Amino acid sequence: MSQEWNDEWELSKENVQPLRQGRVMSTLQEALAQQETSIHTAVQLKKQEFESEIRFYSGDDPLDVWDRYIKWTEQTFPQGGKESNLPAVLERAVKALNEQQRYYKDPRYLNLWLKFGNCCNEPLDLYSYLHSQEIGTTLALLYITWAEELEARGSFKKADLIFQEGIQRKAEPLDKLQSHHRQFQARVSRQTLLGLEEAADEKDPDLLGTAEPQRSSLADLKGRGKKKVIAPISRVGDSLKAMNRNRSLQNPTSQQLSNSLRFAVFDENSASGAGIPVLTPQPWAAPPAPKAKENELSAGPWNSGRRPRSSANSGMEVPCALPNFTPYVEESAQQQAMTPCKIEPSINHVLSARKPEKEEDPLQRVQNHQQDTQEKKEMVMYCKDKVYAGVEEFSLEEIRAEIYRKQAKKKTEEEMQAIAQKKEEMQRKIEELEKKLKKDDKQQQPHEQPAETRESSPPLGLQEIAFSSATELGEKQPCLQSESQLSEDTQLHKPASSKKVIQSPDVCPGMQGGSVFLDSEDEQEDQGAEASLSKKDVALLPPLDPATFFSIFDESSTSASQNISCSTGQTQKSARRPLAIRKSSDCIIAKENAPPEACDELNGIEPLTEDAIVTGSYKNKTFCANPEDTCDFVRAAHLASTPFHGVVAQRIPVPAYSESALKEDCPESKSTPLNQQIPVCEGTYNEALCAKKLSPIMEASQEDTRSSGSSVSPGSSLSSVTQISTIKYLHIPEKLELAQSLPAEMVTDSGGIGENVTGDDITQFSWSDEQRKKLLDPMPASLTASPDFHLENGSLPVMILEKEFELGNETYCIKREYWTNEEYKMFFAVPANFPQLDAKGFAIKVYSQPVPWDFYITLQLQERLNTDFDQSFSENCGCFLYRDGCAILHRDINRFTLGDVIRGCKAITEEVIILVVYNLLDVVEKLHKAEIVHGDLSPEVFFLGDRICDPFANDEMTSALKIVDFSHSLDLRLQSRISLPNGFPIAQTPYGQQLLAKSSFPYQVDLVGIADIVHLMLFGDHLQVYQENFTWKISQNMSKTVGSDFWSKLFGRILNADGKSTVPLLRELREEISGMFDSRFQERLCESLAALGETFLLEDFL
Amino acid sequence: MAKQLGRDQQGITLRGSAEIVAEFFSYGINSILYQRGIYPPETFTRVQKYGLTLLVTTDPELKNYLNNVVEQMKDWLYKCIVQRLVVVISSIENNEVLERWQFDIECDKAAKDESAPREKSQKAIQDEIRSVIRQITATVTFLPLLETACAFDLLIYTDKDLAVPEKWEESGPQFIANSEEVRLRSFTTTIHKVNSMVAYKKDSFS
Repeated sequence: MSQEWNDEWELSKENVQPLRQGRVMSTLQEALAQQETSIHTAVQLKKQEFESEIRFYSGDDPLDVWDRYIKWTEQTFPQGGKESNLPAVLERAVKALNEQQRYYKDPRYLNLWLKFGNCCNEPLDLYSYLHSQEIGTTLALLYITWAEELEARGSFKKADLIFQEGIQRKAEPLDKLQSHHRQFQARVSRQTLLGLEEAADEKDPDLLGTAEPQRSSLADLKGRGKKKVIAPISRVGDSLKAMNRNRSLQNPTSQQLSNSLRFAVFDENSASGAGIPVLTPQPWAAPPAPKAKENELSAGPWNSGRRPRSSANSGMEVPCALPNFTPYVEESAQQQAMTPCKIEPSINHVLSARKPEKEEDPLQRVQNHQQDTQEKKEMVMYCKDKVYAGVEEFSLEEIRAEIYRKQAKKKTEEEMQAIAQKKEEMQRKIEELEKKLKKDDKQQQPHEQPAETRESSPPLGLQEIAFSSATELGEKQPCLQSESQLSEDTQLHKPASSKKVIQSPDVCPGMQGGSVFLDSEDEQEDQGAEASLSKKDVALLPPLDPATFFSIFDESSTSASQNISCSTGQTQKSARRPLAIRKSSDCIIAKENAPPEACDELNGIEPLTEDAIVTGSYKNKTFCANPEDTCDFVRAAHLASTPFHGVVAQRIPVPAYSESALKEDCPESKSTPLNQQIPVCEGTYNEALCAKKLSPIMEASQEDTRSSGSSVSPGSSLSSVTQISTIKYLHIPEKLELAQSLPAEMVTDSGGIGENVTGDDITQFSWSDEQRKKLLDPMPASLTASPDFHLENGSLPVMILEKEFELGNETYCIKREYWTNEEYKMFFAVPANFPQLDAKGFAIKVYSQPVPWDFYITLQLQERLNTDFDQSFSENCGCFLYRDGCAILHRDINRFTLGDVIRGCKAITEEVIILVVYNLLDVVEKLHKAEIVHGDLSPEVFFLGDRICDPFANDEMTSALKIVDFSHSLDLRLQSRISLPNGFPIAQTPYGQQLLAKSSFPYQVDLVGIADIVHLMLFGDHLQVYQENFTWKISQNMSKTVGSDFWSKLFGRILNADGKSTVPLLRELREEISGMFDSRFQERLCESLAALGETFLLEDFL
Repeated sequence: MAKQLGRDQQGITLRGSAEIVAEFFSYGINSILYQRGIYPPETFTRVQKYGLTLLVTTDPELKNYLNNVVEQMKDWLYKCIVQRLVVVISSIENNEVLERWQFDIECDKAAKDESAPREKSQKAIQDEIRSVIRQITATVTFLPLLETACAFDLLIYTDKDLAVPEKWEESGPQFIANSEEVRLRSFTTTIHKVNSMVAYKKDSFS
């Protein structure tokens, strides 16, 4: 006999409460099966979900949530009991929906009440309460339930009245009510009939009985019948029942009979039945003499009786001795309330004793609650309603988190809209400008330099130049105006704040801030720039800052600054704080014990609405500024823990400052544009280059302002100030110089340097040299102990293309330069002494700092991956550490990179792409498994593996890609505190900015890298994305490509993986690809590879 | 008598099997009618069967009706042409089907030609039947309350070529539109196997 079903339900059928609407078998089985484990997370999660839905429900039918919650509870906890908490849920629901008049006619609401009634001590009270409150009085169910309850208690008349009331009020559905009424009447009449029959049965002997004593009283005393003798002396009235017939001989007197009659239970049913004789009260004034009692002694003189001593009945003995026994007292008499507990109470949590106090009727509680709410005098200063909305208590943090999540969602939505709008606007303006420029060009062909800059038709990224040069020329930009207009508008909305901080989330990651506006001397524009910059802050920082999430609610801070909790606008505050202390007078004002108005002015920052919700709607304020305010602390902490790149808005709004401050400010702001102009003027023919080049300078200019600000500040440490400024000035020329070489590297590098200066070495960019130096200082033993590690005394050999140099004891000749910048260089070299036999050689990575980071990462990979460390990585590498740099030598490297393939082949066959992607996913998965983020995945960093280059390679063993460069890698085990993906080179690309704008997950960076590489291989150009319904999509039309299903799926998953663990994701995708590897695929792949080798590899090699 | 003996001692014949199964139906239907309150409980009386106390109707008309059905079933079981017996419980007011008790019968038609009885002790069969009836009783744990007065129908699925006997009529399957189905235990006499299942209305709960 096969038993498909788990018979759990049958085994514990006694533990399942029947439900009126039945149960879902699957839920029931599940619930019963889970019974054993005390914590079933799924159930808890669901419960939590309901609880939070109750609090944050925004629809117009809160009853629905409760209804579902209760139904779910009923189904999920078949045993009912404490765990289900159903009575509590019902009570809370009833309370919560108390004043909702609109639900009074809702059957669900009535149902809620009726279910609640079952938990009450006296449901009848509840029904009449409902009736008096007009809750559900139009619904048949109320009357039916009410009447049923009455019927069950035997009050048929009342039940009938209830039915009639219902019918009279035309309760819906009337036919149901009527049919119930009919059935009820049928039941009652049947019962009455039965009762009548019974009563009739009883009456007959009754009459007989009454007749008999009467007759027998005059008859002789001889009993009739053999066994039963009827008492002859009975003269009781006709109410007498004929029970005496059953009496035994020994007890023939009527006294017993009358006794039994006196305690007859009043039976309403028989009373209401017609024709039943009503009991008459006992006619005798005094009880009849107890004559015929057995063992009775006739009264006599006490002393006359002679009794044996032993009888112990005599009155003599009674008063004498004290009882010589201890009276037995029942144990339970003293402590009835507590059940004796044999097991130690700490262990025994199941059978805990019931609390002795009497339980309050829940109905009463609800009614009390209602009264309370009506005459409530105290005001709750926190969102009590939210904390206690459901059955479980929510913490303020939970509520805040929920609100935050909601807001973030809304924000993204708005942002996307704003971006789209802005983009459109920009496009329009660019077109306009272009037209204008063309016109200008025609008019004045040979002109000064700014005009030349214009010639290059600027795409989106280049608008800065266009704008800046335009401003230079004194032209009013409509865009600028609108920008400042925007800030002014926002200002109007919050007159309390004197700062121009705009938190409106219309951030445009596409344009690298309002750097454009910095060179403008117009204050308005300046503010505009600041506004847009600070906007950027907001977008970048809050998700990363733990303080924002879980800041402790601080009453004093809220009171001090109107509606501002210190946790909210920290980004701004912290940024401003040091600046605000420019003048000593300002400084005083800035102190917390200053009058609150002044504080408001200074800290007037728009509060995050979440706090308005948590705290704000309760307007009462204590105007007592607390000198121990934690605000300062929070700010300081924030300042210390916030990476610099986010804190860029540090301009001081003019109104708050004296002229001297302004003067101070002016040269700074002027010097910035000067700096900025230089790269622009110096031959900027490459647009992309230009766009990126501006960025570091911009950051430098920020620094300017900042350092000058702090130099005046008396509070901040002077030493740090000087340090900052020196470093700053040292770096500026360097940056300018760098700006002319490769841009992508530069941006991040200079950013890193800037970070070092300001970040107080708490949080730094991942690839910051300083930090790496620190991490590798002293050099880990694993590093120095490695046989491949060589410490060299001299300085780094000069390496130039086609020149020989010595490394270790070998001489190499550089054959190719992959990429180079100020700090990193990647070369391909062959041994100088040996003729070259194949395409393989050495990849040499040179780093201008003596930090063997790549080597470290490679070793870590080797260690963490163990057997997984395969051909995808550099298996044979050596590290040469010099005084002023280090070189890492990778042996057995194929000459070509994936970038060569992409550039060299017009169309890469799908098989090759699949193979490459497969390996790509594999490599990244391994990296992530080892908790290493590569950070700069691009086709250039992937050397081709033997799988592609070696036609005789073993399919299984070899890998198609090899990765040796880890310049931007992040070891999350070591650098766990860094979680900002924004600093990676990829985050500077347009798509990176979009995709990583809000990401806080460093692994995400590599996913974007993968997506870009795949995109490059498929379409030949960089990734372009847009967002639709919160999902990122690529702008390219996929349908034309082969296997578009898979690719769109891949993009969909990779681009939208934020927050999820990347390793399983990559593995899944990889496994999906491996599903495509059939024999036919292999064949085609072989052909494709051969073709690739012929057309590209060999050719290039020769 | 010989047949009787055979059943008691060691084997199951076709006729004996048909009898056992028909008897099960008789008690099973009675149990359902009592458990689901189709007839007032006072019209039932207790009997001992399968080691359980079961309730069977005392209503003469109902008794008669059930006897007729069971006799007919026995005949069909013997001929191995019956596939399914369904007890349909529907509301009197609007004829809506509220519950459907389905007993699928698998007949081993080969038994018709066999002469030797099959090996299975009567006690084992009774134990199986007992657990089915117990489950029928236990279904109150999940079945919805029948709020209105209900009536029941018996549907019997037979092989196609069967001539409809007198007093029987053809009927639709009377399915429940949106139903939750719960499979109950089954029992077998080795010749007939009965799988039980109950379906009930689902839409009223979340």
